[in-house]
Amino acid sequence: MITVEKLFKSYAKTRVLHGIDHAQQRGEAVVLIGPSGCGKSTFLRCLNQLEIPDSGRITIDGVTVEGGQPPRTAREKEQQRQLRLRSGMVFQSFNLFPHLTVLENITLSPRVVKREPAAEAEARARALLVKVGLEAKAFAYPNHLSGGQQQRVAIARALAMEPRVMLFDEPTSALDPELRDEVLRVMLQLVEEGMTMIVVTHEMQFAREVADRILFFEGGRVLESGPPEQIFSHPLNERTREFLRRTDARRP
Amino acid sequence: MFLLLLAAGIGCAAAEDRLAEIRQRGELRWGADAEGGAPYVYPDPQHPERLIGFECDLAEALAAKLGVKARMVQNQWDQLIPALDRGNFDIILNGLEITTNNQQRVAMSRPYYVYAQQIVTRADTQNLTALEHLKGKPVGALSSSAALRLLEQSGGTDLRIYPGNVESFRDLKARRIEAVVLDLPIALFYAKDDPEVKLSGPSFAPGYYGIGARRQDVSLLAALNQAIGELVAEQGLERIYKKHGLWDERQAQLADYRPVAVAERARISTLREWPRYLPLLLRGAVTTVELSVVAMALAVVVGLVVVLARLHAPAPISWLARAYVEVIRGTPLLIQLFLIYYGLPEMGIRLNAFCAAILGLGLNYAASEAENYRAGIQSLPRGQTEAALALGLSRSQAFIHIILPQAARVVIPPVTNDFIAMFKDSSIVSVITMVELTKVYGMLAMSTYDYIGLGLMTAGIYFALSYPASLLASRLERKLSHDHR
Repeated sequence: MITVEKLFKSYAKTRVLHGIDHAQQRGEAVVLIGPSGCGKSTFLRCLNQLEIPDSGRITIDGVTVEGGQPPRTAREKEQQRQLRLRSGMVFQSFNLFPHLTVLENITLSPRVVKREPAAEAEARARALLVKVGLEAKAFAYPNHLSGGQQQRVAIARALAMEPRVMLFDEPTSALDPELRDEVLRVMLQLVEEGMTMIVVTHEMQFAREVADRILFFEGGRVLESGPPEQIFSHPLNERTREFLRRTDARRP
Repeated sequence: MFLLLLAAGIGCAAAEDRLAEIRQRGELRWGADAEGGAPYVYPDPQHPERLIGFECDLAEALAAKLGVKARMVQNQWDQLIPALDRGNFDIILNGLEITTNNQQRVAMSRPYYVYAQQIVTRADTQNLTALEHLKGKPVGALSSSAALRLLEQSGGTDLRIYPGNVESFRDLKARRIEAVVLDLPIALFYAKDDPEVKLSGPSFAPGYYGIGARRQDVSLLAALNQAIGELVAEQGLERIYKKHGLWDERQAQLADYRPVAVAERARISTLREWPRYLPLLLRGAVTTVELSVVAMALAVVVGLVVVLARLHAPAPISWLARAYVEVIRGTPLLIQLFLIYYGLPEMGIRLNAFCAAILGLGLNYAASEAENYRAGIQSLPRGQTEAALALGLSRSQAFIHIILPQAARVVIPPVTNDFIAMFKDSSIVSVITMVELTKVYGMLAMSTYDYIGLGLMTAGIYFALSYPASLLASRLERKLSHDHR
């Protein structure tokens, strides 16, 4: 479902990604862990082209985009759009549109991008709101919702485009601990439904329970990857061990 | 208390002997306007720091008679009388006509020159040789000049009022007007070396130029009258006028002028007579509103184009948009208006005054609207665009559906401020012959002399225009923010 080959990315003179290779099956849930600034968010943002990698190749569900320049020709732009349509993104800071109601937030993209009729888009938006437990908030504005509710709307908004892959960029980092569970529950539900997902998170408990595979990032490289029991119980790499010790100490 | 002080001040001024003061100072200060002031007083084209003209020579001759030196004080021509009253200079010596109207406001000396009116047309124009031929034609005249009064009395012409002579000649050559009516000395000066224009028909409606002084400066006036009399008798005036090519047989009348006594005019209270004056001001206000609304609409649209070019266009176009903003903001609106109105015709683009005013104001404000929009757009978190792109929207779709509606809310207060400022800034277009509210105020104030009453009415009208705009804006702002925040 996802193939990444030799992905490089630098900002100015700092190299952020050192040739990442990654392959992921349909329905697989992958969790990226690692210290701050290790490149995991950049990796995720490259996957849906919010960042243009310097070189490398990304394929999602048969659509391939090469790194290098931002797209120029109509064909390149269409490739980029197709790649974005195949992936849904959830941000740390929710990024809901404050001037639109919850329902409008969800229906905007299907209506504008896919030119879906209003009734159809609304019906699906309402179904998605039921799924994330917010059917009562359809006409609320984002600023009247709690952080957890906003993030659930953001997930529904991404799902409304019927992506093949969901990308989560630290979805619970901006939330108070008591609001995290409601978001994690929705994500768990998606995993159970067989959604292909990549999640960047510091929630080790969630990673341990949900991930099919864990990738440990540091210094722009994948230092270790494997099933949760291996990574958490018998990490092979010294750096992984140290990282887990520190995070465990912080969150017993 | 204040009134007492004021009365004491007036008493003081009356008691002063101006002539003694001038002699003590060693300097006769004469008020005149050297801007487009040829042939009366104007900067020497060869040595622009030096003033020349027949009134310069006359002022020096008069000062010499009083045993002092002459010093010219620059003042806008149609504001010379109020400036004399304020005490900015001792006398007005600048083509001030001896008319009943002027004599009601200032004391006038015996005449020093006999002028007449002259019609000037383009060289190829036929049959516009007398006042009655000008009916129904666009005709230019200098603000508060004898020609303007004459044309207003005869009526029927499409009158354009100019702040200076150079501008009216430009418009004549640019075919915006068919004829200019003006004092003969000016006509001689500007038309004689210019093959594009000609004096059309004989001069008419002769009158006298005299020196204006404050009514209380009796001794000064007497000394000036004596000095003029001596200059007439010694043929000193004749020498000066011959030097400037202005001597004609009419000047013989200077020797036997008999003054007519005219009483000081009673003060007019325009506030008490508001039904006469308010409608005139309101007519000017209509022009102000038309100008402001159309120019602002232009600014809002052009500003959007400019900000889009600046933020999203490829480098050379983005750079151009940025240069546009910087150049427009870094140069005075007045110069921009002059360039559009008087400069463009030389490149074959001739706009009428209204269009030029709209274009000037609109393009000027477009630069500041573009900056307002930019601030609004850049105040939005980057995540908004990113979220839209991640959902598959194109950049332009993201702009229309996500950025624009949010930026609009941020941008409404500064844009409204600009709109209100536009009401007031639009008064500057009077320099390109637009008669809007402030210009009407100026013209009425000059003829009634009631700067305060008319000023209050005019300020009231401006306030009545801008306050609803600001109310509307705050309501709009509240409505937009109430929903989303």
